[in-house]
Amino acid sequence: MQSLYEIETTVLRSSRTQGLSWGVSEEVGKAIRVLEQSNLAGLESFKRIIDLGFDNLNKLLEVNQKNTNNLCPIHFGLFFLDQSHKNKLYQTLHFESLVEPLVSLPFLIKAAKKNLIYFQLDSKELVLNISPGSLFSIDKNQIPQIISKFSLTLTTQREIQFSPKTWDDLYKLSLETFVDESEEKRISGAGAGLTDND
Amino acid sequence: MKVDLRKPEFVMKLDRLGSFHQSKLSFLRSFIREFKDWDFQTKEFNLDNEGYGYAIYTVQNRHKQYSLICFSNYLDDSDRSDRVIATKWDASFVLFDGVPLKKDIERLQSNVPLQEQGRVSQKELCLSRANKSVRIFEHVVNSLSEGKQPDTKLLYDVGYLYRTTAVYGAGKFGLADRIKIQNRDEIKGPFRLEMMLVYLARQFTFDIVNHVAHHRCPEKAITLHDDIARNLGIGNSTGLGMAPFIVNHPALLNQWIIAKESALKAIRSIAFINEIEKNSFQNYLTLIQENIKYWKTDSEYQIKKNNQLLKDLENFQKYFNNLSLGEYFWNSVYQWVEKNTQAECCEFIVSLMMEVYPEIVEPLSYEMSINEEEYFDIDTSRPIYEISQLIENQYTWLLNINFDQKDNIFNFWYYSKNKQEPRLSDRFSEEGADLELPLAIARDIQNLYQELKLMDLKDDLGAYLIKSQQYRHILRRVLICEKLPYSEIQDNTISKSVIPVDMLRLKLSFFGATRFDPRSDRWVRITMYQGAPLMREINQSNDSWSYKKIA
Repeated sequence: MQSLYEIETTVLRSSRTQGLSWGVSEEVGKAIRVLEQSNLAGLESFKRIIDLGFDNLNKLLEVNQKNTNNLCPIHFGLFFLDQSHKNKLYQTLHFESLVEPLVSLPFLIKAAKKNLIYFQLDSKELVLNISPGSLFSIDKNQIPQIISKFSLTLTTQREIQFSPKTWDDLYKLSLETFVDESEEKRISGAGAGLTDND
Repeated sequence: MKVDLRKPEFVMKLDRLGSFHQSKLSFLRSFIREFKDWDFQTKEFNLDNEGYGYAIYTVQNRHKQYSLICFSNYLDDSDRSDRVIATKWDASFVLFDGVPLKKDIERLQSNVPLQEQGRVSQKELCLSRANKSVRIFEHVVNSLSEGKQPDTKLLYDVGYLYRTTAVYGAGKFGLADRIKIQNRDEIKGPFRLEMMLVYLARQFTFDIVNHVAHHRCPEKAITLHDDIARNLGIGNSTGLGMAPFIVNHPALLNQWIIAKESALKAIRSIAFINEIEKNSFQNYLTLIQENIKYWKTDSEYQIKKNNQLLKDLENFQKYFNNLSLGEYFWNSVYQWVEKNTQAECCEFIVSLMMEVYPEIVEPLSYEMSINEEEYFDIDTSRPIYEISQLIENQYTWLLNINFDQKDNIFNFWYYSKNKQEPRLSDRFSEEGADLELPLAIARDIQNLYQELKLMDLKDDLGAYLIKSQQYRHILRRVLICEKLPYSEIQDNTISKSVIPVDMLRLKLSFFGATRFDPRSDRWVRITMYQGAPLMREINQSNDSWSYKKIA
C-alpha cells in the first residue's frame, strides 16, 4: 500500500508537470492526501482531471464570470479557500458545471474552518453541506464525476437543527444539576454582597 | 541584564550554519537520553560463518517494542558504491514497529536489501543500508581471529566499520506515515527512530566482526575490546539529498535553531556562576581538543576550517585561563568569542557551554518538533502592504541582490532522474532548468516582492492570488518566517559561490555527527555515535560520552 506521504508527493510532482505552480501543486498534494486518508477516491479523481487536461477546464477567477462550464475543481476550491473571507461572497452563486467535485471538497472544508462559514452545494447529482465543525461525511459511492447547473451558497449563519420542544426538554433537564436553595443558603452561599446598589 | 537572542540575520547565514557542532540538543544524544532505560536485546543472530544472514535487535519497555532487522548479504567489491543509485549493499536495515513474525521477516528479506527498489509496509518505520569500510573490516576480523586487538591508530583514523548511505523514514517506499507515530511520547524529538536505527546498526557492526572472526578461527579468536568498540561510531556518507530538506521544512528548521538560540540566551543570562561550572567547561574543552586530532579530512575547505578552529581555541584558552569569575561570566565569554574567533570556533564554544547546563538545555530538546501543517495555510485576508513591509523587514538581505547577474543565478536545483536525488547544476551550460526545484528562495522572494509592488497595496492577498499563483509557495514561506524567524537560510542558494556542504553540515550537526570530512563541496562523510555506550551499557550513559577521550 502506498503511504500518504507517497500519495502527496506523487500528486504534487504530477501537478507540477501539468503547469500548476509549486504553491498550487502543494495544495493539491495535501487535498488528495486528505481524501485518500478519508477513504475517498481522490487519486482516481485527480488522474481523471489530468486525463481531461487542464487546458480543457475553466478556472474560476470571479463569481460573475461568463463561462462557468467545466470548472476545474482545483481552481474552484482554491478560489473559495482564498476569497471566502470576503462578505460579498456570502450569497447563493450559480455555476454551469464542475468536474470531479470531490477534489474541491478539501479546499471548501478548509475555507469553512478558516472563515467560520457554511457552504451548501446544491445540484441534482449531489447535495452537500460543509460547516466549520469537523464532522463531515459523504457516501463515496455517490460522488459524481461532474455536477451541472449547481449552486453554492455561502453563509456565516448557522442554522438551528432542532425543534423548540427538544431544546426546552433538554434545558429543563440541565436545570436538574442545580441545587434548590433555602433562604439561609441563599444568604450564606452568595459570593457577592446582597446589595449591589453602590 | 537583558540578553537577547542572537538575531536571525546573524545566525542564519550559511557560513555560520555550516559551522554548527553537535551539542546536547543533537538528536542522537537525545535518543540515548530518552531510551537509556529501555531494554535493549539481541533477539536473533542468524548469520552464517561468513557473516551473511540476518539479525534482530529489540528495544522495549513495558508498553512498547521496536525491532531492528539487519540483513547482511555478500557484495562483490565492484558493486560497492555509496551512491543513491547503488542497488546492492553489504548490509540493509529496517526498523519494525513491534516484534516481527516469521512471515514479516520473509517479506522483508526479499524487499529490504533492495532498498528503493523494494516495498515495505506501514508496519515498518525506517529503512537504511550500509557498506563496509572494507580495509578496516578485514583488518579487524583478521586481528581478532588471530587473537589480537586491531591497530587502533588505523581504526580511529577511519572511525567506523560500516558507513550508512541513506536513512529513510516518514512514509517513503511504503514506510509508516509520520501521522501514525507522531503522538508517541518516546519519539517526540525529531528523527528519534532514525537515530534508533543507526544506534542499533552500529551495534550490529561490532557483533558481526566478532562473529566472523570467531568462525574464521574458533580456537584463537577474541572479541573486540569494549574500549575500542566504544570509540567507533557508524559512518555516514551524505550527498545533496539533505540540502533541500532544510529549505523545504522551514518551520522545523526554526524549531532546531530556536532551541539552540534559547539555550545560549539562557546561559548568557546567568548572573553568577561558580568554579565548578567553569571547571566543568574547561574539562570538556580539554577533552574535545584531544579528539579534534582524529578529525581527518582531505578537504582543503575543512582542513582550513579545522586549523583555524585549533588556532582560535589556542587563543581562547589563553583568554579563558586569565578570566576570573564575574557577573554574567558566560555572556562575557560569548562576546569575546564572537568578536575574536571565526564561526567554527564560536559555534564550538557555544556547544561546549551547553554541556555545563543540562537542566537548561535538555528540556529544549523536546521542543524541536513542530506540526508543520499548522503553518501551511495562507491568511489571504492580509493586506498586501503588510506583506510588502514584512518582506522589507525580514528579507532586507535579499532585496539588493541583482538577479540579472549571471553569478547570482548560476546554479539550479533539480531532481535527477538517473541518480534519484537532488542535484545542483550550472544553469547556463546544463539542461533541465525548466524543471528547477523551488529552492531559489531569495530570487523568488524578490520576484514576489516586485509583483506585490505592482498591486494596489490596500488590496488583500486574495486579490493577488486571483492575479497570480506563481509564488504561492513563497508567500507561504514569508508568512511562516513572520511567525518563526529562524526558518529561513539567509543566503542565496543558487549563487555561484554557494557551498552546499554547509547546508549538509547544518543538518548533520543537529543529528549529532562529528568528524566532518567533505569529499567535495557536495557530499560529506561523517561519523555518528563515536564514543557512545555499547548496547548492553546504555542504561549507564550519563550523556557525556561525546567528550570521552579517544585512544
